[in-house]
Amino acid sequence: MVLEGKKALVTGGRQGIGRAIAESFVREGASVIVCGRGGRPSDFPDALSWHQCDVADPNQTAQMIAAIGTHDIVVNNAGIQIEKTVADTTDDDWDLLMGANARGVFNVCRAAIPNLNPGASIINIGSISGNVADPGMALYNASKAFVHGLTRSIAVDHGPDIRCNAICPGWIETGMLEAGFDLAKDPDLARNDALARHAARRFGQPQDIANMAVWLASDASSFATGQCFTVDGGLTAASPLNPGLF
Amino acid sequence: MMLEGKTALVTGGTGGIGSAICERFENEGAQVIAADLTDNGGAGTFRPFDVTNEAQIIETFDDLSNSWGKLDILVNAAGIEIEETIENTTLEQWNKIFAINVTGMFLTSKYALPLLRKSDAASVINFGSYDGYIADPGLAAYCATKGAVHALTKAMACDHGPEGIRVNAICPGYVDTPMLQSFFEGDGSGGGGGNIESLQQAVRDVHPMRTYGTPTDIANLVNWLASDEARYASGQLWVIDGGLSAQVQQMKL
Repeated sequence: MVLEGKKALVTGGRQGIGRAIAESFVREGASVIVCGRGGRPSDFPDALSWHQCDVADPNQTAQMIAAIGTHDIVVNNAGIQIEKTVADTTDDDWDLLMGANARGVFNVCRAAIPNLNPGASIINIGSISGNVADPGMALYNASKAFVHGLTRSIAVDHGPDIRCNAICPGWIETGMLEAGFDLAKDPDLARNDALARHAARRFGQPQDIANMAVWLASDASSFATGQCFTVDGGLTAASPLNPGLF
Repeated sequence: MMLEGKTALVTGGTGGIGSAICERFENEGAQVIAADLTDNGGAGTFRPFDVTNEAQIIETFDDLSNSWGKLDILVNAAGIEIEETIENTTLEQWNKIFAINVTGMFLTSKYALPLLRKSDAASVINFGSYDGYIADPGLAAYCATKGAVHALTKAMACDHGPEGIRVNAICPGYVDTPMLQSFFEGDGSGGGGGNIESLQQAVRDVHPMRTYGTPTDIANLVNWLASDEARYASGQLWVIDGGLSAQVQQMKL
């Protein structure tokens, strides 16, 4: 158990990647507080504490951190996605998306940093979309690039006591991914095409990201800081142009 | 004219992209040597030049020292491609592509330096590739040579910037050249033996600009980097690919 005695906060952990990270941390011996905008999910394991908090709100975030006290690990996972180009994006879209994905990460880090024990690890969930563009996801892509930049700044400004890294997931199998394929003209064909573009020939599981998070949270990664680690099954190592699939 | 009074040597100067560069340089007022293995009767003064032949490289720059007395622009465009995975690449093939794409760039640049120092605004332009960042299938050794070019470019820029020599790399994406045609026909691409005609619409559609590049597109950027307009540009890798590598892979949904 590599996280024994450590106390962790995971934002946006109701389901998916955040939930997998929180459960993995518990298995590794950490005590874990998960936060989300709503109430405690009915199916939530007893081992996980729940704190209702909208990280886009600086007051709520500060209150939550005050309640948690000193801790060792922060995972900024809370985030939303809006599928629009710049031209179609409204002011409300901006507030909603940048509030959660950019300001939320900032709010949590600002409140948490004075409360982190020496040797602490902050893990931000970025995205491959912060490095290369997904079409029709302009603000989401930009918000993840913000996360990557903030990650480096925190590492530089708050080392050596605090390490800060980002994980950049690729396509992770969640309900959202399947819903996307269901919209395709031929869902099976679309799924096979997408799989062929992954060197791993599969999509990611939330656990794949959680495994990386455990390593970054643990002292095994004590020399890793300021980096964005891509975990995408090889998707972005390949050219977007693959004649074999034409 | 952006290059008036300048002298330039272009390795691979009779190839697909090299020819276009020589033509543009001449149109911009430069004196140009198209240094290559075979003459194509194109722009520039042809000079036999094998980037793996150290004696010939030394002799070439000795001659240029006597005739021009300086070199303002060096374009390292000579390069080959091997369309294989590492498993199917022989040591001989591996050594050959590194000898041309990397060692050839090293040797040419090394012996050009004394003449480049005599220019009051020298510019070296190396040919990298977007394949130095992300992989095309079945091009392993080529991808590796281009990664080496990118690192060499930065190192040369650091070492020789204080001497007034700028060094940059151009990283083209898909450009319509004989090399691209060969890639499409190779087994490694998975193109199934198709040719650029049968694949061209599909290739175009993957690019945000909905087109692939021409040698002229590349020559335009080389010309700018060679000119004094680019006098503060050094040590960079200039990707020019119609937006291709700005995207994640374009799945068909």
